[in-house]
Amino acid sequence: MPTPTLTQSIVITLIQCLLVVIFVFVVVPLTVFAERKVLGHLQQRLGSTRVASGHVGITGWMNRGMWKWGRIPVLSYWRGIPGLVADVLKLILKEDILPAKADKFVFFIAPALSMVAAVVVFAAVSFVPGVFFTFPAWFPFVGGLPVSGGIADINVGLLWILGVASVGVYGIVLAGWASNSKYPLLGGLRSAAQMVSYEVPLAMSLLAPVVLSASLNFGEMSARMATGLPFWGLVPQILGFLIYLTCGFAETNRLPFDMPEAENELVAGFHTEYSGMKFGFFYLAEYINMTVVAALASGFFLGGPWLLPFGLQGLVNPYIPAALSWFAEPHAIFFVVKIIFILFTYIWVRGTIPRYRYDQVMSVAWKYLIPMALFNLLLAAVVRCFAV
Amino acid sequence: MNKILRTLIPFDIAKGLAITGKHFSKVFFTANRRKVPLHIVSEYPEVVAKVQPRYRGRLTLLKDEQGEIKCVCCLACEKICPTQVITIEKGKKEGRKMPFPVRYDFEMERCIFCEFCVESCGFDSIILNHQFELAAYNREDFSLGMEGAGQNMFEPSPVGKFSVAED
Repeated sequence: MPTPTLTQSIVITLIQCLLVVIFVFVVVPLTVFAERKVLGHLQQRLGSTRVASGHVGITGWMNRGMWKWGRIPVLSYWRGIPGLVADVLKLILKEDILPAKADKFVFFIAPALSMVAAVVVFAAVSFVPGVFFTFPAWFPFVGGLPVSGGIADINVGLLWILGVASVGVYGIVLAGWASNSKYPLLGGLRSAAQMVSYEVPLAMSLLAPVVLSASLNFGEMSARMATGLPFWGLVPQILGFLIYLTCGFAETNRLPFDMPEAENELVAGFHTEYSGMKFGFFYLAEYINMTVVAALASGFFLGGPWLLPFGLQGLVNPYIPAALSWFAEPHAIFFVVKIIFILFTYIWVRGTIPRYRYDQVMSVAWKYLIPMALFNLLLAAVVRCFAV
Repeated sequence: MNKILRTLIPFDIAKGLAITGKHFSKVFFTANRRKVPLHIVSEYPEVVAKVQPRYRGRLTLLKDEQGEIKCVCCLACEKICPTQVITIEKGKKEGRKMPFPVRYDFEMERCIFCEFCVESCGFDSIILNHQFELAAYNREDFSLGMEGAGQNMFEPSPVGKFSVAED
């Protein structure tokens, strides 16, 4: 296999970045659509079955055509999809209002900050161990070269992920402060307290995989967690997974922990004064954050690119027959399916559990999650000490 | 101890998730079949909306088997109406013992659909029908009556199946 020159490796990395961005921008709109549909199904509705302009415009024409085409409910089921286009168009075309007394620079920088902090985390996520695919020989400039499964193979990938992800708090706090209005300020303050509190049990629940796998590299961690654990390694992972998921809901400001934008108390929380594409960036950042949390959960706890979660793969692998060896190997498709499942869980929980009170949110973090995460860490250490 | 266990192990959350998960799977796997839809909401403009038996639509005068208006002008509905949308003019008709409403005006734009008039009626002569689409383009379309341009108090008038007096 030829070794790439410097320019070639730069080009390959750019192509990887492009692929990841495409992945993110395919998953995020589909999550938005799925949210409408799944929330509807949870409440015994159909979800979005039409766009707002049912009788005029391109989407209205599409809707009428689909309905005229033989009244097939399958088509009718998907009729909400043009709504995605309508959403994006609305966000782009809407007037971008800047409040008169706002801090202009900070007001401008806040959505960009939360967006960048959300996307950059994907640099350390490895989708599949080793080579993802090799460019065919006819490909210009980089033909015949391998593309690895992650953008950057960082030694301390987990530190990078946690560090960059907590920069996202600044986006929300600065947005709340720069708006120079009371509701956003309250939302920003709440988010500062909430996200800093939940950062602690989140990091602690991620320490258990670190202890068990003795590594901070994302790819290595997911490989060892999936295949290199004894039977007792399951216990700290399952508990840790639940703690991590709870903290993940809180970190991404999703229900039942969406204190920063509690719309029955604060109008829309930190993004009350935002409109147009600046609001769109917050919206995107929220969903990208969800994808990031889902990617970490599936990488560390659900076995990453391997089929079975919680380290069961390593226990089952010797018994998988040779004919089914495809299931014993890592594939990016498993990783993506797990991400999608966790995104579904997000929406599922949103449709089930009502919002917590603010003091309840805090007490859940400090009184229950942190002791449980410490206990989980102790379990992991015991397993590591005696069983590995 | 029980309380601590319930706090630490989220049974209630699991129960709630199970319920909503059941709803999701039911609707998701039957949404594309036309025969047994489990979702309770229909696609309204394309599919005719089904209303519940207790739905309160437009006020309608009923007729008996001979085609006679059942209303006897006792004015109970006019008196009980909280928004005074009903105006009745008493009159006489040949070959009819009971009084006959010469005019029965109903202004739907102020009606709050409380169904007090139907409950107060001792002769089962009015109902609120099951008409779902009550909107109109002009204000004049909301003043209904027995004669003239607003002569639409009688149709569409289903048989009073869900009369209060029957219960």
